[in-house]
Amino acid sequence: MSGAPTPDVVWVVAQAIPSPEIASFDHAAHFGLRWQVTPVLYSFGTHRSAPRWRAFIAEPFTRHAGSVELFASPEYMTSDRSEDRLSLRVGTRSYFPIASRGEYLSVSIGASYSTFRGGAVGYEAGAYTLFGILGVAVTYSPSREAPTWIGTLRFRYF
Amino acid sequence: MDRNAAISLFLSAATALGASGCLASQFAGRSLTPLFSSPRAVPNKITRPFRPDARIAVLWVGHATVLLQMDDKVFLTDPVFTDTVGELSRRLVEPGIDVDAVPPVDAVVVSHMHFDHYSMGSIDALGSKVRRLVLPEGALVYAADWDFDVRELPRWATWSFDGAKITAVPVRHVGWRYGIDRSWMEKSFSGYVFEYHGLTVYFGGDTGYEASYFRETARRFSSIDLALLPIAPLQPRDFMERNHEDPREAVLAFRDLGARRMVPIHFDTFVNSLDEAGDAVRALDRAAKEMHVDDRVDRLEIGEQRVIVPRGG
Repeated sequence: MSGAPTPDVVWVVAQAIPSPEIASFDHAAHFGLRWQVTPVLYSFGTHRSAPRWRAFIAEPFTRHAGSVELFASPEYMTSDRSEDRLSLRVGTRSYFPIASRGEYLSVSIGASYSTFRGGAVGYEAGAYTLFGILGVAVTYSPSREAPTWIGTLRFRYF
Repeated sequence: MDRNAAISLFLSAATALGASGCLASQFAGRSLTPLFSSPRAVPNKITRPFRPDARIAVLWVGHATVLLQMDDKVFLTDPVFTDTVGELSRRLVEPGIDVDAVPPVDAVVVSHMHFDHYSMGSIDALGSKVRRLVLPEGALVYAADWDFDVRELPRWATWSFDGAKITAVPVRHVGWRYGIDRSWMEKSFSGYVFEYHGLTVYFGGDTGYEASYFRETARRFSSIDLALLPIAPLQPRDFMERNHEDPREAVLAFRDLGARRMVPIHFDTFVNSLDEAGDAVRALDRAAKEMHVDDRVDRLEIGEQRVIVPRGG
């Protein structure tokens, strides 16, 4: 092993880059930003002899070759109500490789709980390319309180 | 931000732009341009590459991909058969052999993790033809859960099977795949020496010129029949020279290794520098003549196969 993944300033900077999103609630579209944190990830696509668990740092291959992760996403939404602007979404998501072991194309499904307006469950699906750097995800919530639909242009590097 | 962090950020950005691994300096425009054209066709591709008349035969598939036959054993180096590497860097010339025509491969070796050397899509395409995969130290974290045997080889470690031996030998390069991982993927690059039935072949993968490495390899492997050595990218030299030997340095490495014959690789297949097609081979021809080894350098076209050691020869 060359060494365990180690956070450095570049990784931190990469994590600070938000993903823009559009959310629909109160009969209007709202711009938002979402960040991604992965406290723990289990990769089922990597070699059986290699370590499969990751905490916070997950290499693109490890994630997109097939994995299950717990995630936490701080979210910011433009809204007239200040209490709507910041929320936290936590959930689980699974990635499945489609092309070149997920490095060229992968998809995901997941479920989450958001603290927006007292809390709501959401369901999501996504597709990713360029080693997972670029993706699109859609989150749907059946709750009347939470945004019904959120479309996210996801930027993520590690 | 310290220098390493700045380099890491730069490399990460380069990778994000579709770098083919070794092009850390990313010349995105040059790299993206071939996306809009088709790779040059290889005429009369070989469909039956196994040569009963050969003890050592080499078929250059392109870049660092070489189909190597040593008696009845078949090896494949850094297999890349995909149209692109890093998704956005398209090949200039199509692979020199179709995947369907590749015979069962006793061992595939991967020199390092860059996209132009480690193509998981290509290994998947080879599928059940692959019997073993050799990766450099620390690279197993980037291995898929393939059915065939996959092993990391630390420097100077040997994997023996069926009378053949593959030994990881030192080269000067880098081990990262995505950029940010450069801070912990510090050892995942290697050259390899193949031994079988008294024959010895050296594969340099992708390396800068480090005389001590080549001389130590020569000391441990005193009779190298063939050296497969990278000769590009060249420009910009200040940036490339640490991790990429130029043709003159490749000839020096050839002499350091004490090899009998040399086949140049790693040029004119992908855009990963400011080089023009043909620059590297012209420089190689000059260097080989100056150092009086031009009769021992076998320059192959992509798709060309040559018998280096004939049976009974």
